[in-house]
Amino acid sequence: MSSHAGTIDHHHDPSTSTGIPNKKLLMWTFLASDCMFFGALISTHLIYRLHPMPDAPSPKNIFSLELTSFSTFILLMSSLMMALAVTAIQKGNIKSMRWSILTTIFFGSIFLGCQVYEFQEFVEIKKMTITNSMLGTTFFTLTGTHGTHVAIGVLWLILMYVRSFQPPEAGRNAAWFIRHAVHILVIIGAILLAIFSTLALVHTLHTGGSVGAFFGGHFAMLAGLLACIAAGIFLARPTGPVNFGEANAIDVESMGLYWHFVDIVWIVIFTAVYLLEYL
Amino acid sequence: MRLSSLLTSTARWGRAGFALGALALLSGCDYNFWRMDGHQSTITVAGPVARSQLEVFYVTCWVTLVIFILVGGVLAYATLKFRAKNEAEEKAVPPEQGHGNPLIELGLIGASVLALVIIAIPTLKGIWYTYDVPEDRKADTYEITATGYQWWFKFEYPSEQIAGTGALTTGNELVIPAGRPVRINIRTIDVIHSFWVPKLAGKVDMMPNRANFLWLQADEPGYFWGQCAEYCGDSHAVMRFRVIALSPKDFADWVAQQTSPARNVTPKPGEETPKAQFASLRTFKQNETGITDKYEIAPLEAWKAKQFPEKGENAALIAQGKALFASKTCASCHEVRGHGAAGISGPNLTHIGARSMLAAGLIENNAEQLRRWIRDPGSVKPGNKMAKGYLDNNIKLTNEEEVALVAYLQSLK
Amino acid sequence: MEAILKSDLHAKDTHAPAKSAIFWRPTAQTGLISWLTTVDHKKIGFLYGVFALFFFLVGGFEALLIRLQLMYPNGTVLTAQQYNTMFTMHGTTMIFLAVMPLSAAFFNFIMPLQIGARDVAFPRLNAFSLWTFVAGAIVINLGWFMHDGAPDGGWVGYAPLTSKTFAPDHSIDMWVMGLQLLGVASIAASLNFIVTIINLRAPGMTMMRLPVFTWMTLITAFLIVLSFPFITIALVELMMDRLFGTSFFEVSNGGMPILWQHLFWVFGHPEVYILILPAMGIVSEILPTFSRKPLFGYPIVVFSGASIGFLGFSVWSHHMFTTGMGTMATAAFSLATMAIAVPTGVKIFNWIGTLWGGHISMRTPMMFALGFVWMFMIGGFSGVMHSAAPADAQQQDSYFVIAHFHYVLIGGSLFALLAGIHYWFPLMFGRKVSEFWGKLSFWVIFAGFNITFFPMHFLGLNGMPRRTFTYDANLGWNAANYIATIGALILGVGIFIYFAVMVYTFLKGEKVGKDVWDARTLEWSLPNPPPEYNYRVIPTVHARDAYWYNKQHKEEIAQEEAEHAKAEAAHGGIHMPHQSIYPFVASLGLFIASIGIAVIDHDPSPGFWGKKIGLSMIGGVVMLAGIYFWALEGNEGYHLHPDDEGHAPADKKAAQH
Repeated sequence: MSSHAGTIDHHHDPSTSTGIPNKKLLMWTFLASDCMFFGALISTHLIYRLHPMPDAPSPKNIFSLELTSFSTFILLMSSLMMALAVTAIQKGNIKSMRWSILTTIFFGSIFLGCQVYEFQEFVEIKKMTITNSMLGTTFFTLTGTHGTHVAIGVLWLILMYVRSFQPPEAGRNAAWFIRHAVHILVIIGAILLAIFSTLALVHTLHTGGSVGAFFGGHFAMLAGLLACIAAGIFLARPTGPVNFGEANAIDVESMGLYWHFVDIVWIVIFTAVYLLEYL
Repeated sequence: MRLSSLLTSTARWGRAGFALGALALLSGCDYNFWRMDGHQSTITVAGPVARSQLEVFYVTCWVTLVIFILVGGVLAYATLKFRAKNEAEEKAVPPEQGHGNPLIELGLIGASVLALVIIAIPTLKGIWYTYDVPEDRKADTYEITATGYQWWFKFEYPSEQIAGTGALTTGNELVIPAGRPVRINIRTIDVIHSFWVPKLAGKVDMMPNRANFLWLQADEPGYFWGQCAEYCGDSHAVMRFRVIALSPKDFADWVAQQTSPARNVTPKPGEETPKAQFASLRTFKQNETGITDKYEIAPLEAWKAKQFPEKGENAALIAQGKALFASKTCASCHEVRGHGAAGISGPNLTHIGARSMLAAGLIENNAEQLRRWIRDPGSVKPGNKMAKGYLDNNIKLTNEEEVALVAYLQSLK
Repeated sequence: MEAILKSDLHAKDTHAPAKSAIFWRPTAQTGLISWLTTVDHKKIGFLYGVFALFFFLVGGFEALLIRLQLMYPNGTVLTAQQYNTMFTMHGTTMIFLAVMPLSAAFFNFIMPLQIGARDVAFPRLNAFSLWTFVAGAIVINLGWFMHDGAPDGGWVGYAPLTSKTFAPDHSIDMWVMGLQLLGVASIAASLNFIVTIINLRAPGMTMMRLPVFTWMTLITAFLIVLSFPFITIALVELMMDRLFGTSFFEVSNGGMPILWQHLFWVFGHPEVYILILPAMGIVSEILPTFSRKPLFGYPIVVFSGASIGFLGFSVWSHHMFTTGMGTMATAAFSLATMAIAVPTGVKIFNWIGTLWGGHISMRTPMMFALGFVWMFMIGGFSGVMHSAAPADAQQQDSYFVIAHFHYVLIGGSLFALLAGIHYWFPLMFGRKVSEFWGKLSFWVIFAGFNITFFPMHFLGLNGMPRRTFTYDANLGWNAANYIATIGALILGVGIFIYFAVMVYTFLKGEKVGKDVWDARTLEWSLPNPPPEYNYRVIPTVHARDAYWYNKQHKEEIAQEEAEHAKAEAAHGGIHMPHQSIYPFVASLGLFIASIGIAVIDHDPSPGFWGKKIGLSMIGGVVMLAGIYFWALEGNEGYHLHPDDEGHAPADKKAAQH
C-alpha cells in the first residue's frame, strides 16, 4: 500500500479525531514537558550566575567562544540534514533519507566530540570541575544534560537508520535479529572510535607530537575505526525488499521534532550560558 | 424501609454516643480547646504585629463564614428539597434537562470577586505593616540577631558590645525591652529553621544564605513561648525558646548583669562547707515533661527569681564543677566568659544559671532537670550534638561529678 | 465475504504472522503472565487501583501511628526518628502512591470508555507507566527493610536537611530515586492520556461534549506534564549534590536552599490540583447522574477547571510566605491565590445548581459526592484564609495547615475517589455494594474524618507546629489532640468497613445488569464488565450526555449502530494490540538502575562494581534491552470479530493460537 510515493497525506491522519498523527502529538507534548525541564535547569544556572561567590572563576577566562560557535553551527547544520531526511522519506525516497540521516549522525557526533573536548579542557587546563565552583556545578549539569539529549538523539537516529534495512515480517528471523544488532553496534563503535581518535590526534598535536607519532601510537584504535566503517558499509548493502517507506515518515518526523528541539535548546543555552558572558 | 430506619437509629445512637464521649472526655481536661488561649496562642496576642495578623485572620474568617453559611444553606436546602423520597420518585420522569444559567453564573463570580476584595484590602495593608518596623518607630528600634542551630537558638545583641569578645550572646531565652519595636535578624548556621513566637509575631524562616528579618513588639512585660516551626531534623519538636519582655529599667539591669563576666563563687572566710548529698537521680520516662507549675502561675516572676543566686550554694562543690567543666571537654563547645571556656558550637553558658529553661526551652532549669540533661542529653533531645560529643569523647559522669557540674552551672547567674 | 469472516472468529489479520521467530508473544488471559504483559487499559487501570489501595492502607497505618504518638502529651509510642520517618512516608505515600495512582486508575479504566475509544493511544507505553510507578513505589519503601531506614526528610525534602551533610545515609537517595521513577511514570502516562483524549474521541465527541471527568483528566495530564519536570530537576540537583559533590544546595559553596523550595513548589502547587481535579471530575459525573439532570453550566465548569490549572502555576510561592520574599512578591502571590478561589467557588456553585430541581437519589456514591462538596468547601475556605499572607504567617507549618490540606485531600480528593469506586464498581465488576453497608461506611468515615481534623484548626491557631513528635501538657493542646486521635481510630474503622465491604462485594456482591444508575455518559452503554475491545461498534456521539441522548433516541441509535457494525466488519474487524512483556522489562531495568544509583557509596575510595555503579549499569542494560525489543517487535496486533450480541466467546482461544 505504502510503496507508491505520494499516496499518503502527511499533514492529515484520518484515523485520529484531529487529523494529527498520534506519534506527532505525543512528541509535541513531550517536548512541552522537556521545555520545562530545560527551563528549570537554565533558570538554576542564571540564578546562580547572579549570586556568584567572591572567589568565583570568571566564565570569560574559561569559555572558548570559537569552539562553541563552531559546534553550534554544526548542530544547526545537522538540523538541516534532519529536515532533508524527513522530506525524503515523505516522498518515499529511502536512499536519500539514509544519506541525510547518516549526515545528521555525523554532525551530531562532531557536536558531541566538541563537547567532550570542551569538558576535558575545562577540567584539566582551566581547572573548573563540577565540584570546585558553582559555575562548574551549573555549567556541567546543564550542558551535560543537553549533551545527553544529543547522545540519545544520535542513538535514535542510528536505530532509525538501521531500521530502514528491516525486511518484511516474514524475513525477521534470528539471523536478521543478529545482523540488526551488529549493525547498530558497528555504527556506535565507529562513532566512539572516531571521536576518541580525533581527540587523540588533537592532543598529540597540542603536545607537540607529529601526525606520524599519532598513527604509530593509536594504530589499534584506527584499525578498529576502519573495521567498523567497513562493516557498516558491508551491512548497508541492498539485500532485498525492506519494510520501511513512506508510511514510516511519521516515525522519522517525530524523531526530527526531537532533534530540532534539542537544537533549539542548544541555541538558548549558547545564548544564556556563553554569549551572555560577553555582553 | 428497614434499611433507612436502621440507619436513622444508628445515626441517633451515634450522635448520643459522641456527645457522651465528648462530655466524659472534657470533664477530665484542663482546657477547652476552642478557647485557644494557650501559651502559643495566635488568638490571645500580646503585640502589634501578631494583632495585625490576627485582624486579617478575623476578616478572612468572617467573610468565609458568611459565604459558608449562605452556600451551605443553599446546598442543604437543595439536598433536602429535591431529594427523592422513595423509589417511585427516583424512577419518575426525569426533571427538565436544563444546562445552566449564564446570568446566575456571572453574578456569583462577581460576588466571589467582591468577597475576595474585602479580604484583599486588609491583607495588603497587613503585608506592608508586618514586614518591617513603621518609619516613625525606626529610631526607637532595638536590634537583635537570632541564629538557628540544630536544635537551639543563639541570640546576639549587636548594640551591647563587650570589650574583647564582641556582642553580648545568649541562648534560647530572648530578653527584649517591652513597648519598643524589636527588629530581629533571622539567620541559621545549618538547616532551615523558623522563628515563631505566636503571641508576638508570625514566623519567619531562618534560611541559609538569606538575610531574613522580622519585627515584633511586646505591649507589656511578659514571658512568651516560642518554637521552631520548620522541620529541621530529629529534635525539631523540642527546639523551643522563650521571649522575656522587660520594662526599660529591668532590661537595662539585665543587660548590665549579662555583659559582666561569669560569676565566681568563693567560700566566705569561716563558712562551713555544707555536706553535699550525692543521691542517684531517678530515671525519667521517654519525653517526660520537665516543667513545673511555677511557670504556669507566674512565669515572669519565676524567671526574675532565677536572676538571683540559689540558696545554700556550696562553694567547694562549685569549684569542683568548674574544674570538671574544663576537664570533661564541656569547654570545647560552650563559652563561659571569664572562666576560660570559649567553645562556640554550643550555647553560651556565661549566665546559664539565670535562665528559666534548659535544652532550648524544653525542661526547667533546676537541679534535678539540669542533672537529667547532663547525665544523658540524648534521651532528652534525640540526636543532639552534646550526646554525640559524649560518645566521641567517651564521657561518663559519676553521680558526684554530675552534682558538682550542676552546682557550678546553677551558680552562673 | 462477510459470512466467511464471521464464521472464522479465530482468523488473525493476514498481515500479522501467527507467531514471531524472535519476540515472545504472550497470550495468557489469566495468571501472573497475563497481568505482567497486559496492554489493556482496563486491566492496567485495575492494577493501578489495587496498588494504590494497598499503599493507601500502608499510608493510613502510618497515620494511625502518628496519631497514637500524639494522643497524649509526651507520647512514647514512637521515637523522634521513627515519628519523623512516619510523617515523611505518610505524606509521600498518600500523595504519590495512593491518591495519584488511584486517580490514574480511573483515568485508565474510565476515560477511554467515556470517549468511545477501544484503548489508549499507546497501550504498551501505558503498561510501562504502570510498572514504572510500581518500581518507584517499591524503591521509596525499600528503606523500611534497609539498615539506613526509611527516609525522614519530610515529603517536601527541603534542602539542606536532605543534603549529604545532614542526611548522610542512603534513605534520602532511595526517596530521590523513587520519586524520579514516579515522575517518569506520571509523565509517560499523562502523555498517553493527552494523546488519547485529543485524538481517540469517537465521531461526534467534540471537545465541548467530553464528559467532565475526561476534561479534568486532560487538564490533570497537562499539569503533570508541565509541572513534574521541575521536581525532576530539583531531585537531579539534589542527587548530583549527594553523589558527585556539586554545590546546588551546598551553602558553603554559595548554594541557595531557597532554590529547592521554588523548584519544589513550582511542581508542588500544580500537584495539589493534580490531586483535586480528578476528584472534581468524578463528582461532576456523579452529581448529574443521581440528580437525573445535566451538569449545571458545563462550559463554565470546564473553563474553571482549565483556569484552575492555569492559575495553579502562578501561586506556588504561597507555600513560602514565611521565607522572607519581600512585600511585593508576597502581595502578588497573595492576590493570585485569592484569584484561584474564584474558579474553585464556581465549581461549587455549579454542583449546587446541578442538584437544584433534580430528582436526587441518595445512593452511596451520591453520599460520598455530597460529603465531598461539604468537606471541600471547608477546606477551600481555610485555603482562602491562607491566601491572606499576614494571617498565613501564623498558620504556616502549624496544625491549621494540616487541617486545611486534609480537608482538601481526604474530604476532597479521597471522598471523591471513594465515591468513584462505588459509582463505577458495577461497571467494572458487574456487582454492586449493598446500600446499607455503603452508607454505614460513609457515615463512619465522615464522622471519623471530621472528629480527627476539625480540632486541628484549633490546635494550629493555638500554636502547635506540624512535624513535631511530642508536645508538653501545658500548652492547651491535650484535649484536641486526644479527640483527633479518637477520630483517627474511628476513621480507621470506617476505612476498614469500606474495604471489607468492597472485597466482599467483589467476591459475592449483588450482581447487577447494565447501566445500574441510569447514568448519562458513554461508558454505561457497555455491558459489565466491559469486553476487552470495549465497543463492538465505535459509537457516534450526538449530544453532551451521550448515553442519555442514546437512551432517548433508541431506534435511531440502533439503526446507526447496525450500519457502522457492517462497515467495521468489512474493514477487517476490531484491531487488538498484542500483549507484550517488554514494557515490564524496561521498567524492571529502571528499577534496578535506580536502586543501583541510590546505593552508590559516597566515599571516594577506589572501586567500580558492587556498590559503585555496577548495579546501575546492569539496570541500564536491562532497560535498554526492554526498549530495544519493544521498538523492534512493532505495534502489530490481531483482529477480533465479535457477533451481534457483542460476545466473542472464542476470541480468547483465538489469541492462544
